[in-house]
Amino acid sequence: MKRALRSTAVAAAAVFLAGCASVGIDEALKDTNTHAQRFTGGNLALSRTPEQRDRRAELAQQLLATPLSQDDAVQLALTNSPAVQALMAQSWVDIAAANQTSRLPNPIFTFERMRLNSELELGRLLSFGLVDLILLPQRLSISRSQAHQAKLQLTGAVVDHVTQVRQAWVRAVAAQQSLHYAEQVNTSAQASAELARRMQRIGNFSKLQRARQQVFYADATTQLASARHATTAAREELIRALGLDDAQAAKLALPARLPDLPKIPREAKEVAATATEQRLDVQLARAQLDLAGQSQGISLLSTFIDVEAGARRDTVFDNAEGSKSNRRGFELDIRLPLFDGGSAQRDALNAQSLAAANRYDATVRGASSQLREGYSAYRTAYDIAKHYRDEIVPLRQAMADENVLRYNGMLIGVFELLAEARDQIAAVTNAINAQQQFWQADAALAASVMGKPTATGAAMASSGSEGASTGAAH
Amino acid sequence: MTNRRNFLSGAGALTGAVAAAAVSKVAMAALPEPVLQTKPDTMAPLVPPSGRPYNPVVTLNGWTLPWRMNNGVKEFHLVAEPVVREMAPGFKANLWGYNGQSPGPTIEVVEGDRVRIFVTNKLPEHTSVHWHGQRLPSGMDGVAGLTQPAIRPGKTFVYEFVARRPGTFMYHPHADEMTQMAMGMMGFWVTHPKAEHPLIEKVDRDFVFLLNAYDVEPGSATPKIMTMADFNIWSWNSRIFPGIDSLNVRLNDKVRIRIGNLTMTNHPIHLHGHEFLVTGTDGGPTPKSSRHYEVTTDVAVGQMRQIDFLADEEGDWAFHCHKSHHTMNAMGHDVPTMIGLDHKDVARQISSLVPDYMVMGERGMADMAEMEMPVPDNTARMMTGEGPFGSVEMGGMFSVVKVRRDQKAGDYANPGWFKHPPGTVAYEFDGAIPEPARGRHSGAAAMPAQNMPAKNIEVQIRKPVADHGKH
Repeated sequence: MKRALRSTAVAAAAVFLAGCASVGIDEALKDTNTHAQRFTGGNLALSRTPEQRDRRAELAQQLLATPLSQDDAVQLALTNSPAVQALMAQSWVDIAAANQTSRLPNPIFTFERMRLNSELELGRLLSFGLVDLILLPQRLSISRSQAHQAKLQLTGAVVDHVTQVRQAWVRAVAAQQSLHYAEQVNTSAQASAELARRMQRIGNFSKLQRARQQVFYADATTQLASARHATTAAREELIRALGLDDAQAAKLALPARLPDLPKIPREAKEVAATATEQRLDVQLARAQLDLAGQSQGISLLSTFIDVEAGARRDTVFDNAEGSKSNRRGFELDIRLPLFDGGSAQRDALNAQSLAAANRYDATVRGASSQLREGYSAYRTAYDIAKHYRDEIVPLRQAMADENVLRYNGMLIGVFELLAEARDQIAAVTNAINAQQQFWQADAALAASVMGKPTATGAAMASSGSEGASTGAAH
Repeated sequence: MTNRRNFLSGAGALTGAVAAAAVSKVAMAALPEPVLQTKPDTMAPLVPPSGRPYNPVVTLNGWTLPWRMNNGVKEFHLVAEPVVREMAPGFKANLWGYNGQSPGPTIEVVEGDRVRIFVTNKLPEHTSVHWHGQRLPSGMDGVAGLTQPAIRPGKTFVYEFVARRPGTFMYHPHADEMTQMAMGMMGFWVTHPKAEHPLIEKVDRDFVFLLNAYDVEPGSATPKIMTMADFNIWSWNSRIFPGIDSLNVRLNDKVRIRIGNLTMTNHPIHLHGHEFLVTGTDGGPTPKSSRHYEVTTDVAVGQMRQIDFLADEEGDWAFHCHKSHHTMNAMGHDVPTMIGLDHKDVARQISSLVPDYMVMGERGMADMAEMEMPVPDNTARMMTGEGPFGSVEMGGMFSVVKVRRDQKAGDYANPGWFKHPPGTVAYEFDGAIPEPARGRHSGAAAMPAQNMPAKNIEVQIRKPVADHGKH
């Protein structure tokens, strides 16, 4: 009776403890959805059953039915992309592995059957590591830390992917928009070339004059081909980020233009107010630091003392006597720290803790710097795009208008008019590039606020510096 | 034009003229009151209120400077200053001139007059006045640095000499001359003979104007002063057609026109319907033996020509520079010739890029005058002017001599369009047109050609086709 009670208690404790330590993938997804609401819109879900997969496919169809907005693109990636599903599945693996840590090692049942003359001895030993049991609370906490870390990693990976999707979407839309203008430049050059051809035919132009116009067309054609490929490349990049299959890819339609610039840019204060503590990378470093601290105690202890306790119950059958007797007792295995006093292990653990602590510091310091850089990139991109929108494009438009007046007054000819039109178009293309830079910087900054910095600084430096198309036709 | 009749209701009282307020009272006591002109209209002749009588001139789109007699000396006051000159309706230029206008007022004196001219400089830089063509003491010749110190801004200089020989003269700065002439600093000067002169006939109407040229970027207002040859505004007295007033005369009037050239090129001035004699040059009246009838006389750079003719043919007679570019307003000199180019289909393509694009020039440039499309602000159309039969398609140095039977003597008002007697206007022939016989022979050459091109080049003259009417 007493024995039964005891075994029940052990079993109950084991179940309780195991349940307690378990953090499921669903919880992790819920966490990520909450934590990265801005990114996931709460829509991150791992489909495990055919029904779930069908639902995902259906949602993807709905999203693909209309030109895909940036937010829709994110939703589509979250529901549709196998890569995202893989991320979640992988996270499940990690969480499961973390949960493993919290489980008590199974007790070892040893069965012996020994015969000595007429004696048959059946030995049963149920043993388990005492240290594991003693350290169970610590192990639980480590398990939680690992699971937390896995969740953070999942969130990070999702943020990363979403940022990629956003940026790919911006590039794809911008490329498509630029292509439209490259086509216009080409049309203009084509018109010039055709006019020049006719001018030569009727004797108003020399070969050289015609060739000058023709060469613009030739160049414009090359540029158009490049622009076409750039559009395809950007679109395919988006398709990959969305994880579309061929049928879905064929259906993908994008809006004709990038969204307008926001009326006012995000405030530096607002961005800086995002406590660095909130950032994913900081949290991750913190989790690693905690883990290092917790593991230190446990690893050290388990190296130092390894105590295994066992309950033994042997039954001896004496065939000669026809008697049966039971022996009971317990065993203790103790590892003697004679050769390994644990100093190397201790050093390693200390070093690990130190490294983790410093990594944490470095991450905290880096985080605010990255935020500042990200904001600068964002703000510069905003200002440049706004400058294009409010200054350069209207100026070019005014120049184009004036040129029409000058053409009307026969102050300039049609070739000059077309050359100016090309310059205007080039300015619009630059404006689109600037707008693209802004939306990319916007996505990068959003990621940076979350704590998955994306490199935009290098891209910024080269943006918006292109002049208007050189070599007009006059 | 009726204003001109009131022009001299009292001595020196000018319609629309105002006294300059910026000259101090002390200075005013010694100086003749400067008279400013605010309008670019042709003002009525200034009948001399004092001094020796003479037959006054009419300055085309200009006026004559009033004077005061001071102990037998004719005193004038020129104020050199920046002005805004309306060069044609709707087109104003920032120029430098005298007494409110560019060119400055005409100065009329009589042979033997002692003339004292006060010159006040209200320009931002120094200036001087050179009395082009006059016999005078060297120190009065107005060449800054050479014969006098320059007149600093705000300063007043006095020139004094006797107008020794009758004739046609000009005045203009001789300090930073290139800038100041490019900005419109100039004026006319006429010295009338004091008695009957064997070589200077009396005339009923005596018109004067200066030829001047500017380079004003279309859409702007200030001339580019560095321009050497590629001027785009060819003007008479800083006016361009259709802004130049007509020269209105009575049938059988003896008419004199005096022209001075202060541009940087020559101008063959051509009159329709009449022959004229060149009766005077920079040097004075020409000997009768040298005169021959002409319809065009070339006025070279810096020269003056005085032409006389009898206006004995009624009608509206074109009067213009015969350099055809000079009868155009601002135009592009690098615009390719589009004649014969059919590009309606390409035009659609262009219109998709330049929405307001219109096909022009396929048939010639007359499209431009016909279409009246918007042009840059403050820009006179290349060619314009609506006559009784349609667009005159002219600009620049172009005007009309209007000879009318019923024009009153001394009346300079515009009589309107000529009413042609029936049967005297060219008309459309509506009979059958036989195909003309065309010679195919290339004709003899002076000498045999060498190094001819490998094959014959056929020069195609494209003629307008019928369906181009609707652009």
